[in-house]
Amino acid sequence: MANDREILREVWEGKLPVCFKLDPDEVVELQQPDPFYLMVPRMSYFPLVTDKIRKHFVKYVANGKQEQEMWLKCNGQPMKWHLPIGLLYDLLIDSEDEALPWVISVHFDKFPDSKIYRLSNKETVESYFMSCIKEADVLKHKTQIATNMQKKDHTQLWLGLQNDKFDQFWAVNRKLMEVSGESDHFKYIPFRCYLEDSYKQKLVKPVAEDGSRKTLQHLLKEVFPDKPNVTVKIHGLIVPLDTPLQWMSEHLSYPDNFLHLCVV
Amino acid sequence: MSQPESLAGVQEAENALKSLQIGAETDAKKGDKLKVDILLKPTGNAPIMKKKKWTVESDKPVGWIIEFVKKYLKLDSNEKLFVYVNQTFAPAPDQTVKNLYECYNADNKLVLHYCTTQAWG
Repeated sequence: MANDREILREVWEGKLPVCFKLDPDEVVELQQPDPFYLMVPRMSYFPLVTDKIRKHFVKYVANGKQEQEMWLKCNGQPMKWHLPIGLLYDLLIDSEDEALPWVISVHFDKFPDSKIYRLSNKETVESYFMSCIKEADVLKHKTQIATNMQKKDHTQLWLGLQNDKFDQFWAVNRKLMEVSGESDHFKYIPFRCYLEDSYKQKLVKPVAEDGSRKTLQHLLKEVFPDKPNVTVKIHGLIVPLDTPLQWMSEHLSYPDNFLHLCVV
Repeated sequence: MSQPESLAGVQEAENALKSLQIGAETDAKKGDKLKVDILLKPTGNAPIMKKKKWTVESDKPVGWIIEFVKKYLKLDSNEKLFVYVNQTFAPAPDQTVKNLYECYNADNKLVLHYCTTQAWG
């Protein structure tokens, strides 16, 4: 069970100050718009916070382009709408270049269809979020909990995240973090290890054959057998290699129930 | 019953897919071209594919599979197609066949269900 409530709360409350700037090439007014500052939860998704940004910038771009799908760019890379904000930050910003606020450029023109998918509306992200919860559930439990939940539980998870309500979210999420039956651990750990442009996912158990608890080090060895010294970051933190996997999964997973680990 | 697909039609679909940009690996990692078997099964009212079993390069993303099935079934490009794993969840379009195969293959095949309306939420 996810018992370290203080940790859960700390992780949940992680926020990033962001400075959004409209791409100067898209400005058709004489005056450049002011940048738009926003404090965003690391746990959230950009489509949940970008309505205001669109509203702020849309009047500065050409009439014909105002209806186009907005997109965001950082370090020359278009940002994937369906990844949690904290994960995008950890992926796109090197520790050495860390400087807050996080500057993100906003675009209305030339949507990079070859690089990212058009997933910027809330409903699409919600359905992807629920899909991740279900996938994580398949990995963790023999009998599926998420599938047997009622629609209102799903809604509560999503609204809890959207409205930044920790208690509302965890009232349902704790059921997903329970272990099934006699066991004291999950079947497999839901995780993804992010490299530059892709991620790796594998079946990794939280315990070894002899029943001993496995740690992050074991997981990294199984995912990257050829690389001896892999370090990963989650929620902006380098995780100690001796952290037990079961504990990590219960306490450091994103709201979609996955551990999104960035290889640094 | 769907229209029987001619071999030429399949070839045409495959050629069209080669030109698709999304997820196309720019750096062809030679020696890394592992292939996996996938089995495509219709669900709901989705049309049947005459050829169900396909061998695809493992670095292909789910978005590519979706476009492939749409071309094969001659669906309109704005028609929706959903793909499910384990009859439970819809993977992200950028998820690779390799990752799904690693986690969810059964008898060395990855079974994917497809439908034209959302089936499992």
